[in-house]
Amino acid sequence: MDLSPLLSVEDLTIEIAGADVVDRISFTVAPGRVMGLVGESGCGKSLTSYAMLGLLPPAARRSGGSVRLGGRDLTALSERELRRARGKDISIIFQEPSASLDPLTTVGAQIAAAYRTHHNVPRTEAYAKARQMLADVGIPDPDRRLHQYPFELSGGMCQRIMISIALICSPRVLVADEPTTALDVTIQAQILDLMKKLVAERGTSIVIITHDMGVVADIADDVAVMYAGRITEIAPVQALFEKPRHPYTALLLASVPKLSDAPKADLATIEGRVPTPNEFGAGCRFADRCPLATERCRVEQPPLFDCGGGHRSACWHIDRMDEIGEVAA
Amino acid sequence: MTEDLQNVLELKDVAVHFGGRAGLLRSSGVVVKAVNGVDLEIRKAETVALVGESGCGKSTLSNTIVGLQAPVSGSVKISGEEVVGANRRKLNDIRRKVQMIFQDPALSLDPRSTIGATIGEPLIVRAIARGEALKERVAELLTQVGLRPEHADRYPHQFSGGQRQRVVIARALALEPDLLICDEPVSALDVSVRAQILNLLVALQQRMGVSYLFVSHDLSVVRHICDRVVVMYLGRFVEIADRDTFFANPKHPYTRALMSAVPEADPVAQRSKQRFILQGELPSPANIPSGCAFHTRCPLATEICSKVRPELTPRPDGARVACHHA
Repeated sequence: MDLSPLLSVEDLTIEIAGADVVDRISFTVAPGRVMGLVGESGCGKSLTSYAMLGLLPPAARRSGGSVRLGGRDLTALSERELRRARGKDISIIFQEPSASLDPLTTVGAQIAAAYRTHHNVPRTEAYAKARQMLADVGIPDPDRRLHQYPFELSGGMCQRIMISIALICSPRVLVADEPTTALDVTIQAQILDLMKKLVAERGTSIVIITHDMGVVADIADDVAVMYAGRITEIAPVQALFEKPRHPYTALLLASVPKLSDAPKADLATIEGRVPTPNEFGAGCRFADRCPLATERCRVEQPPLFDCGGGHRSACWHIDRMDEIGEVAA
Repeated sequence: MTEDLQNVLELKDVAVHFGGRAGLLRSSGVVVKAVNGVDLEIRKAETVALVGESGCGKSTLSNTIVGLQAPVSGSVKISGEEVVGANRRKLNDIRRKVQMIFQDPALSLDPRSTIGATIGEPLIVRAIARGEALKERVAELLTQVGLRPEHADRYPHQFSGGQRQRVVIARALALEPDLLICDEPVSALDVSVRAQILNLLVALQQRMGVSYLFVSHDLSVVRHICDRVVVMYLGRFVEIADRDTFFANPKHPYTRALMSAVPEADPVAQRSKQRFILQGELPSPANIPSGCAFHTRCPLATEICSKVRPELTPRPDGARVACHHA
């Protein structure tokens, strides 16, 4: 398998009102691999995903870094070139599918339109493609569904339609921003399975943005944990869950109730709250809430240290991670 | 059963239907049977989880318990007092004993009221406290939920999501209810904050003996906080069991499907576990399938399932399950 990166994000920095809300984010995704970007609200994970497609909101500005897809720098493209890349090279799906679909157009027309944006073919051929796509994403009775409007479909169905639109031109990368957060658990399981199937069959790379450690554990090959605009830890999924090397990740995992916990026992918590962008200091942004923090953490930003096996952590005190176990227990 | 073990909640054969009457708006005549023949008791200081997908009727049932929705039949008793058919005065009295907190604390708080005013309002409305006494009580409530008395003068926007949920809990506790209905109380919160609120709910129960009906879809949270679990599907209970029995030996195929659908935060366990993925989606409550309502999605379904509706029957380990094959 070719593991040279297909997508590489390098030192991506996004600024809102002078504050670096995304601060020098770097990660790579190999073909057919799933990268999970995980973090709590406000950590910059969604902005990172929008920046990858040149879809930043007006208030936000990319102030540095690049997003390379197969050697091409997407951030250097003109709007016109970007439009040609979106859908064909890189696609995105969002959390709320019903808010992303046009309520006045049949879903078939919306999928066909996505295809015709990149292929100069007659309408009938585009519809045939759309029909095939609906079958591929597991929608029963595609001939009937093709002519229905979004309001006639359930949330899970609408998300399948979104995936159809995103994948009909066979992009190499699919960015999925909280794709299952608005769905019920049984439907979430179906959508995650569908995404895994598509990766296996088409070799599409996926960048999935989520706050749910369970979703990451299910689908991701590699995980980047974000906190206050920075990647604090990045690792292959198993290594991250087995032996987190950053206090934030360790505490986050400890705060999720597990089978082995005694019922109603106190769960580990992270004291305090995420700093707002105007409170960002010079050092590690987690320092104020971190049980391991020392003076150095407050004044000097830790780089991502290599812990071996593709595991990297931005912490000055990786050697003291055992103490976190005691705090969490 | 002795007097002090009186149930804080007793539901008997509760049904809530919508539509069907040719009223002023000439409704189509379709009856949505949101809740259909439900029995449940909750004991003092007990936490019961109500689990199910959107559209299964859990919110309708919650609304019925607090008296926001009248059932078409059945009985709802709060601490022994009948809610159904009670006159306004009586209902007002009963409602003091049951309070509710919702998923999104930002939507539950008035942005133009200080949180002190918000928390104190039920005490003023019921003429329980005023002036200095009110101030003291609000300060006490704020302390109980882990906030500080001086927070009383601030507005909701000055708080984080987790703190706002603490304010909502403080307001719900102001009247010292016997039962607190928690409708997805931590779903809108970030993971690290979620644990704080769960710890708070457990501590409050130990201190005050309040009972919870905990509506949630998150089974890891349910396992952590609840004593008993009820699974609801299309308006009916399909399984009721004590927590340990429930998680050790889930019986109804729908329960098992729910359990296998919730992703565990452990890649090894998650990827090796036996999957039991349901086909299709929840049918419309306006058109509930015949027999067992779950038969259209059930991998175990046979002919009898589409004809005869299974009743909740007790099993040797104490669980009650409505299934012909489980």
